[in-house]
Amino acid sequence: MITAKKRLAIDVGGTFTDVFVFDEETGEIFVTKTSSTPSNPEKGILEGIAKANISGEDIKVFSHGTTVGTNALIERKLPKTALITTKGFRDVIEIGNGTKKDIWDTYKDKARPYIRRRDRFEVTERTDYKGNILVPVNENEVRELARKLKKRGTESVAVCFINSYVNGENELRVKEILQEELPGAYVCISSEVLPEIFEHERMSTTVINAVLGPIMTSYIKKLEEEMHKRGYKDDILVLHSGGGVMTSSTVPRYAARLASSGIAAGAIASKHIAKICGYQNAIGLDMGGTSTDISLMYDGDIRITKNWAIEYGYPIGFPSIEILTIGAGGGSLAWIDEGGSMRNGPQSAGAYPGPACYGFGGTEPTNTDANLVLGRLNVELLGGSMKLDLEKAKQAVQKIADAFGYSIEEAANAIIEVANANMSDALRLISVRRGYDPREFALVAFGGAGPLHGAYLAKELNIPTVIIPPYPGVAAAMGCLLVDVRHDISKTYLKQASEVTLKQLLNEFESMQAEAKVLLQEEGISEEHSTLMNFIDLRYQGQWRSLAVPVSKNHASMEEILELFHREHEREFAYSDRNQNVEIFGLRVTAIGTVPKPEFPKYEPNGSIENALKGNREVYFDGRFVKTNIYDRDKIPVLSVIEGPAIIEQLDTTTVIPPKFTAKVDIYKNIIISVNQD
Amino acid sequence: MSSAEKTLPQKREIALDPVTFEVLKNGFVNLVDQMAEQMLRTCYSFVIYNRDFSCALCDAEGNTVMQGTHDISVHVGTLHLTAKAVLEDFKGDIHPGDVFLVNDPYRGGTHFCDVRVVLPVFYEDKLIAFMQTNGHWADVGGSNPGSFDVKSRDHFGEGIRIPPVRIYSQGKYLSDVVNLLISNMRVPKERLGDLRSQVEAAKVGQKQLLELIQKYGIDTVLTAFKEVQDYVERLARKKIESLPEGTWETVDYIDMDPEIGDGLIPIKVKMTIKNNEILYDLSGSHPYISCFLNAGYGSALSGLYAGTKTFFPEIPLNSGFYRVVKAHLPENSVVNAPDPVAVTGFCSGAFEKIMNACFEIWSEIMPERAIACSFNLEYLLIGGYDHRNSSNNYFMWYDWMAGGHGGRIDRDGANATSPVFGVGLSVQPCEGQERLSPVITTKHEIITDSGGPGQFRGGCGLEKGGVLTDVFGGVMSYCCDRSRSVTWGIKGGLPSIPQGATLHPDTEKEQFLGTIFSNVPVKKGDSFTRVSAGGGGLGDPLKRDVNAVLEDVIDGYVSIDRARKDYGVVIKEIDRDLDLFEIDYEATKKEREYIRKNRKAWLNVCPYEVEKMYKNGEIDQLDVIRRYGVIMDYTTNQVLMKSTEQYRKAMMKRSLAYWD
Repeated sequence: MITAKKRLAIDVGGTFTDVFVFDEETGEIFVTKTSSTPSNPEKGILEGIAKANISGEDIKVFSHGTTVGTNALIERKLPKTALITTKGFRDVIEIGNGTKKDIWDTYKDKARPYIRRRDRFEVTERTDYKGNILVPVNENEVRELARKLKKRGTESVAVCFINSYVNGENELRVKEILQEELPGAYVCISSEVLPEIFEHERMSTTVINAVLGPIMTSYIKKLEEEMHKRGYKDDILVLHSGGGVMTSSTVPRYAARLASSGIAAGAIASKHIAKICGYQNAIGLDMGGTSTDISLMYDGDIRITKNWAIEYGYPIGFPSIEILTIGAGGGSLAWIDEGGSMRNGPQSAGAYPGPACYGFGGTEPTNTDANLVLGRLNVELLGGSMKLDLEKAKQAVQKIADAFGYSIEEAANAIIEVANANMSDALRLISVRRGYDPREFALVAFGGAGPLHGAYLAKELNIPTVIIPPYPGVAAAMGCLLVDVRHDISKTYLKQASEVTLKQLLNEFESMQAEAKVLLQEEGISEEHSTLMNFIDLRYQGQWRSLAVPVSKNHASMEEILELFHREHEREFAYSDRNQNVEIFGLRVTAIGTVPKPEFPKYEPNGSIENALKGNREVYFDGRFVKTNIYDRDKIPVLSVIEGPAIIEQLDTTTVIPPKFTAKVDIYKNIIISVNQD
Repeated sequence: MSSAEKTLPQKREIALDPVTFEVLKNGFVNLVDQMAEQMLRTCYSFVIYNRDFSCALCDAEGNTVMQGTHDISVHVGTLHLTAKAVLEDFKGDIHPGDVFLVNDPYRGGTHFCDVRVVLPVFYEDKLIAFMQTNGHWADVGGSNPGSFDVKSRDHFGEGIRIPPVRIYSQGKYLSDVVNLLISNMRVPKERLGDLRSQVEAAKVGQKQLLELIQKYGIDTVLTAFKEVQDYVERLARKKIESLPEGTWETVDYIDMDPEIGDGLIPIKVKMTIKNNEILYDLSGSHPYISCFLNAGYGSALSGLYAGTKTFFPEIPLNSGFYRVVKAHLPENSVVNAPDPVAVTGFCSGAFEKIMNACFEIWSEIMPERAIACSFNLEYLLIGGYDHRNSSNNYFMWYDWMAGGHGGRIDRDGANATSPVFGVGLSVQPCEGQERLSPVITTKHEIITDSGGPGQFRGGCGLEKGGVLTDVFGGVMSYCCDRSRSVTWGIKGGLPSIPQGATLHPDTEKEQFLGTIFSNVPVKKGDSFTRVSAGGGGLGDPLKRDVNAVLEDVIDGYVSIDRARKDYGVVIKEIDRDLDLFEIDYEATKKEREYIRKNRKAWLNVCPYEVEKMYKNGEIDQLDVIRRYGVIMDYTTNQVLMKSTEQYRKAMMKRSLAYWD
């Protein structure tokens, strides 16, 4: 019998399905891309596997990031789902907090709720803020409603009652009745999904869990069947937004965490890459065709947020890796507004017609066109399988040149500078703004366009180092291979810090940990591979937002924990107040089930840098064209040093090393660029 | 420089290269947003936390260089006035390390609760800019918790007035001054927290500006200050250039002057486009009234700016915009109330009337962005002692609602959205409120039939009801409007529903309290409710797609009864459990013909006749308003003759004129 040795990661994005195969035995890495097939997502995956030419029996671990959940939500292709609320509250999901994203444009609305009003029902029941049941559930009323739901062909039900975060008894009773009357329906109740205060956030999370539950469960099941048919024996590990994976056994309970499955993968990849390069602080920059995802790792941990949504107005309360997405990519359009100012994005030429140089009919200048005019991009991409039309790029960029009296190169350069400035602003928001000093960070630049811009962004923000991973175009898929099983158990716990003893606190954590352990067991994680971490959300009494601080058994007193909070407040907001009372807002236990991760091979220098030199071309830097060496990345021996200006080309991206910047290839084949800070 | 500053920048060349300009322009927005983010994350007032705040970067003359992307409408165009007020009072005496505080509505502020921190920024001993952070503090003293008193005729009962005051002198914190201020407020410790949060946020902006200067040089940054304003001016002029010149006018109304009684209070808005400029003239608006719904100069101006800006959502906000939009606000009027006339309720009063009047005018000029009237901002306050858990703490249940926005040219209005006063202002979660106060929310739901009928109906409004538990010494106050000047439709659309609060709803003791009252005693066990209107409709409701009406009936946004009365669409219920309904096309045709034939006459039926039918139960409140255009006082169920006459006149212009 052959023992499976290959680790397979597949990240399905909107346009491409990225495949990353790592052979544990040989250390070989194989990457490929296929087109995504949104209407039948398994197809693209199976095609990718076929292209990688591996059999299921060879696969030891299969991790997967998917946009199935995201697409289903955005397109409202959802199962017939009902919402049941406390009488008087069925519209909470539509009211939300009343706001919308675009506050000035009266013609841009908030997206409509995932469950229409006709499918929202109420029952008579009420619990007060302390958890006392004021009105118990009326069983007959619920049974009658259940029968109505059955008649309507309801496949899934979300139940969210007011104050159920303190006492979920009424919800639980409704669940039992629904399970009796509606066998086979998927039922989720808010006190189980996310027992946290604030009815809209909890209801929204529960609703998303309910609409995605059947979809994600059947999708993973189907995929697993297909994989098992091909000889794969194990569970599929599905990536969730919290930066971990889960198996099909926990998908039904936490389907909402898969609403944005793949987005965390890039952040995880960048964390891993930074760490093997010796950095504990890193900013991840994943720049694609239409948008850029930015993430931040500090002291080895990626920033987590509880404030996120697929569509504005429908929050998902599970902790998620914090990603800042901005509308800047290779295809972003440069344009001149009516006030005569040169703008860049957020509109994009998209995949079609795409940049002018693609020759699909686009006529407006994009960042890709500008990079081509500047000579930074080759007229041949993807190893020659794609040809770019320099003339068309020039025609498009000429519009900008004419408007400002620029030469064509000056115009192209201006386009890139504005694009870089916009991205720098976003980087600043996630770093400087949060009290982090960019000078202590490395920038990990990937995605199809990240390596083209990374060096300049780093310079703008005083980041000393840029890391370009070996496979920038499939870094997200690689990220899928690098994650552990992760669950987050959280609850609201509103108390004065002074009222609570350390012992009480640890007791609370203990019972949450017990729940977390069960989850890990279900996933087949042994105790020795389990790690449980406690976090406490604290704030100054009277404040509205809290900061999370880790709690361990090693803390000697509450004071020690509070001191951590004061320091964190000081770091993030530049002030603290030790005389002010501190309030506890919530508790969280993060359970990590470590899964073995690939150890990427270290390479020995092999061959010479001269062999990697493809030739040279004129590339525009600092106001003039400079004769610039062009390298083939695949042929560059590790430990080589390349002085800028230089261009490094590979199948899925192009790396720009500006003049006076120095690049080094490390033993993992990362390109490490030292930023010239003059 | 100063004389050049005053003349119009006619095709002035840009001195900065386009890249530096664009980079700095975006850098300024980024800087202001950074201040906002810090404030949001460290504030103490729940009002600020729910986004009732704004920040700005002003130049050394106090002109706004940039406001943030999430600033709420109501602060637009007032922040530069406050910076200028500081300059006026302290000129020659402003030093590095100084920080000032202002909340004075008679010096360009909005109302007392909007407290502004103004931090002067120096570069090499030269004043170059002001950072401003403005937050709505939960309380600034006065006779009532939350600092509003409907009965107060002047500001002395409304809270503490803070003209420009120094709170840091050359880096030294002036605790005596701050103490004097916060000692006059409820929960002073939290106000100190807000102050700290705002000062620190302003410092974030200062730091970022100094970094920009280090990178680009002082001259470049100062040039960019000017050019960013010129740019916005140029952009605005360019947009206006493509519009026809002319004059448009309309009138919207505040419900009443409580001392006068019957009679809507007109706010007249006349707008002229000429020479690429917009000129508003509010002459003919009513003199200031005896309650706090008046607007001061700054907030009235802000209503005009915000009403205009809504039609140009892509223009950034700064003083360049204000150079293009000019206004005449008649003195001593409801839109320019002098010191010491009470103005705290301007947000429910004059402000939103000005905004909606602007919307109506602009809907004529730019029909592709047309929008009918939206519901009126309202807030209810219950204060008292919380006797739960054998405690005796003072609590404030301070609540505002979302509501319906006006119908639009090709789509219905938005349901349940925050007021035009500030669409970014969040409503509060009941679960948070129930922890903090002995008030249980019994419903928070969409009101069927609340959207004003139209070819594109208004969005739906909401009802929020509650009951008091262990309350001792409770009082209830309300700041609202449009129980009489009911949210109206345009281009043939119809009004929505009257707003107002009710005590003991659905009981024999039910009592409609109207839209403005304060200190109504309430006790344990009392129930109350209130509604926010839907938006007004746009276009003739008889032209609404019958299938759209059917869908609304299935979702319960519209009832079967009103589908017939408002839209002339006759729908039969087959099986509600299965969402099965049927349109009776034949009956619909007849119904629509019947309405078409009679509706003009209905608007002329004697109001007393209508009152009689209403009292007899022949017609309901929606018929009274939508069919007959009659305004009643629902506390007494008496018809209001003068208000009806005014309302009908407006309805004939906005609705009837478009009917065939």
